[in-house]
Amino acid sequence: MATLLPLAHVSHYLWVLYVPPVLIVVGSIVWNMRSERRRRD
Amino acid sequence: MTLLPYAHALVAREDLPIPAWLFAWGASIVLIASFFALSVAWREPRFEDDRRRPLGGGLSKVLLELPTQILCGAIGVFLLGVAVYAGLRGTEAPDRNFAITFLFVTVWLGFPVLGAFLGDVFRPFNPWRAVGRVAGATFSAIAGQRPRHLPYPEALGRWPAAVGLIAFVWLEIVYGPSGGIAVALSPDDAAVAALVYSGYTLAMMALFGVEKWCERGEVFSVYFGMFGSLGCFEAREGRLGLRRPLAAAARWATLPASAAVVVASIGTTVFDGAREGPLEGPTGTVGDWLVDAGLGEIAAARIVDTAFMLLCVAAIWLVYEIGVRGMATVRGAPPLGRLRRGFAHTLIPIALAYLIAHYFSLFIFQEQAQFTYLLSDPLGTATTDLFGTASGGIDYGVLSANTIWYVQVGALVVGHVIGLVLAHDRATAFWGDYRQAARSQYWMLAVMVAFTCLGLYLLSVANS
Repeated sequence: MATLLPLAHVSHYLWVLYVPPVLIVVGSIVWNMRSERRRRD
Repeated sequence: MTLLPYAHALVAREDLPIPAWLFAWGASIVLIASFFALSVAWREPRFEDDRRRPLGGGLSKVLLELPTQILCGAIGVFLLGVAVYAGLRGTEAPDRNFAITFLFVTVWLGFPVLGAFLGDVFRPFNPWRAVGRVAGATFSAIAGQRPRHLPYPEALGRWPAAVGLIAFVWLEIVYGPSGGIAVALSPDDAAVAALVYSGYTLAMMALFGVEKWCERGEVFSVYFGMFGSLGCFEAREGRLGLRRPLAAAARWATLPASAAVVVASIGTTVFDGAREGPLEGPTGTVGDWLVDAGLGEIAAARIVDTAFMLLCVAAIWLVYEIGVRGMATVRGAPPLGRLRRGFAHTLIPIALAYLIAHYFSLFIFQEQAQFTYLLSDPLGTATTDLFGTASGGIDYGVLSANTIWYVQVGALVVGHVIGLVLAHDRATAFWGDYRQAARSQYWMLAVMVAFTCLGLYLLSVANS
């Protein structure tokens, strides 16, 4: 018997797919700042 | 009864070539590419001077002469009068009454878009400014001296306009009971609100002066003027001039609380979108708690919606504040207050993008009603047919769901890229060194990407 995945409410979690671009940019900024600070020190 | 369509929930979108969320990734890539292009190629500030040049004397004369000003003012007063009369005497069905569509769709959405291209078009048609100027001129003629006004508390800046803006949107989307109608405020309530606001505005104009109040406190002058600062025409010192597009925005936000006006504009639009999507559950849950605690259903809904609307405004403010504080960490940054005010204008194209993205379909559909049956039968009583168009209707097939989606995505991407350009330009002016300027703009890039993804997420939820 085929196992059905419980996807009835999957649309409630679609917002997760919109977050990575923001995280990538913010992460890059933080990484850039830390590496710059390290270079200065 | 014909129901007004929701702003963007009329029909489900057809199949898109890629999932909706991938548009957010694509838009973010466009922003990141624009950021790097600006960092390399844009080394000098270009919008600090609007390079205004006066237009031909004949055209200036015709457009700015006193008779034209009187005519435009009279048109403004007449249309406001028609809207108030229709509200008080017309049908209580919001979608059949001229007042609702005219005030909340034609004027509220039309002037920002028109202004973004042409400049502050609302100013000559502002009915309260027209009445205030006539009253001032009459006083001068009778008393033999110009009216004296109180000095405006400069620290107050544009706070009255920011609060008024939130109050206007609150009236439209919180006070008016919904039930499937885009603007469900009763025409009678809208007319009474317009009369109350007219009295308040004229009193403030008498206290502080017409132009002073229009620049700082009069909600519609400030709001439409904000978008008008993106446009290319400007009347200054009695002459019409052509200026560099977007450049006037750089000096619009010099007054205190200008940032609050832009943030309020974005925050309230976000709430309007989110309440049909991600906020639908939380507002319902909190509303149920209040009802269980003994509050009436309408009161509970209004309290919850008010709280969530203010939370949305606060959230937008927080994102902007993070961007500003991030910029402040870059070496050579000006003081925080100057940064906060100095970059507020970069949110204006975003506010416009949110407005277009959220209300585009509503505007296109409702303008068909505005120029057919609402124009011929403004009271909605089916007793008049002034222009023979009373039997007209709305053709919902004029836009496909996919067209609406592409316009929404396009508006959001273009708006945020323009915001990025304005921010980079201001940074080159503040930091001098373009490398430091580019470094400071990492933060505004994050703000723009966050706003773009949020906007696209809200639209995707509302459209699905």
